[in-house]
Amino acid sequence: MTETYHPLVKRLLDGELSLNDLPTELRAEGAEALRLLGVVDRAPVSLPARLDARVMAEVRRRAYSPLRRAWRRLVDPRDVELRLRVRPWVVVGGALAAAAALALLVARPAAPPAGGRAVLMASRDSVYVRFILYAPDARQVSVAGTFNRWDRDAAPLVRQGATGIWTTTVALPVGQHQYAFVVDGARWVADPAAPGIDDGFGRRNSVVAVTAQGARTL
Amino acid sequence: MGLAELATDREVVQAVLAGDVEQYAVLVRRYRDRFARYAARMLGSVDAAEDAVQDALVRAFDQLAQCREPDKFAGWLFLILRNRCFAERRRRAREGRPLNAQDDAVAAPDRTDGRVEQRERSGALEQALQKLTAEQREVFVLKHMDGMAYEEIAAMTGATVASLKMRMHRAYDRLRELLKGHL
Repeated sequence: MTETYHPLVKRLLDGELSLNDLPTELRAEGAEALRLLGVVDRAPVSLPARLDARVMAEVRRRAYSPLRRAWRRLVDPRDVELRLRVRPWVVVGGALAAAAALALLVARPAAPPAGGRAVLMASRDSVYVRFILYAPDARQVSVAGTFNRWDRDAAPLVRQGATGIWTTTVALPVGQHQYAFVVDGARWVADPAAPGIDDGFGRRNSVVAVTAQGARTL
Repeated sequence: MGLAELATDREVVQAVLAGDVEQYAVLVRRYRDRFARYAARMLGSVDAAEDAVQDALVRAFDQLAQCREPDKFAGWLFLILRNRCFAERRRRAREGRPLNAQDDAVAAPDRTDGRVEQRERSGALEQALQKLTAEQREVFVLKHMDGMAYEEIAAMTGATVASLKMRMHRAYDRLRELLKGHL
């Protein structure tokens, strides 16, 4: 039969009690248990200096490999400068057309949002993804992901009146992006309307795939 | 110490993500030894720890864009290293190659103070630690070798304090059984 330590002796080993706190009949067992900890080797362990060079060699190899650079070009967000040469009457006409289109859009009854699902819209030159979260008790909500380097301040959502619904629209480059909502600056929440994937560290990320034709959650 | 050494983890991570790959060396220097003892005690040798820490640092670089909170890079790196150590122990168990005394460059430190008995006890404890489950061994290493409180271990590993205590108390009983005659 296995001989186990008395619960008070375990608390002694945990550092919650001292030997003098134990009843007399348990002190011998306590002293024996402390001998166990007395032989623990707490010496620091130093790894050889060659480790740094090996890690950095591997890091450089991966960073500069053509495959990785091609992948980074595909998925990294970037600024795009669009320069146009137009005649003034085209601008005026375009503005009037845009105003008419907006008026038509506003006149349509708004469809109820589908929970926290990301609603996807495309424009000519880029794909806009609308993120929606129902969080009636939140004081602030933002969306962070691979597209903004998980910066929780980069894309705040705006509360839609007293509905408890928070929304924002973000232009995303073509590619696959992982994201999560950040509620009140600290709590990470996966999109409840999008299937998530394990990030490898015990948490869930939501995924949106963006193509030239539009975007969809995965 | 260069300016880069004074930069916060967040600043270094952002610089690396912006393309300054060489800045990653700052994080390597900063954390290479911090988790070395954990890896060495979990895997039973400094050589195995070196491989594990190297793999973890390279994997962290690969996944850096997914590091949600660069201020907590150390904790994130620890989780990667922890996964690596657990996977290595599972792999060795599958291959029927459990950790043993031959692996143990750290298991029985070569002391020169002549305290043979102390050295033998220390070696026996290391042998016994290898026979604990990975979770029991981990909590023992972090609490009694790295000197961390249960609350700190809970924050690093994601386990609750209650479950950590349960693992530890089972480890105490198992160690008592394994070390009978040595204490």
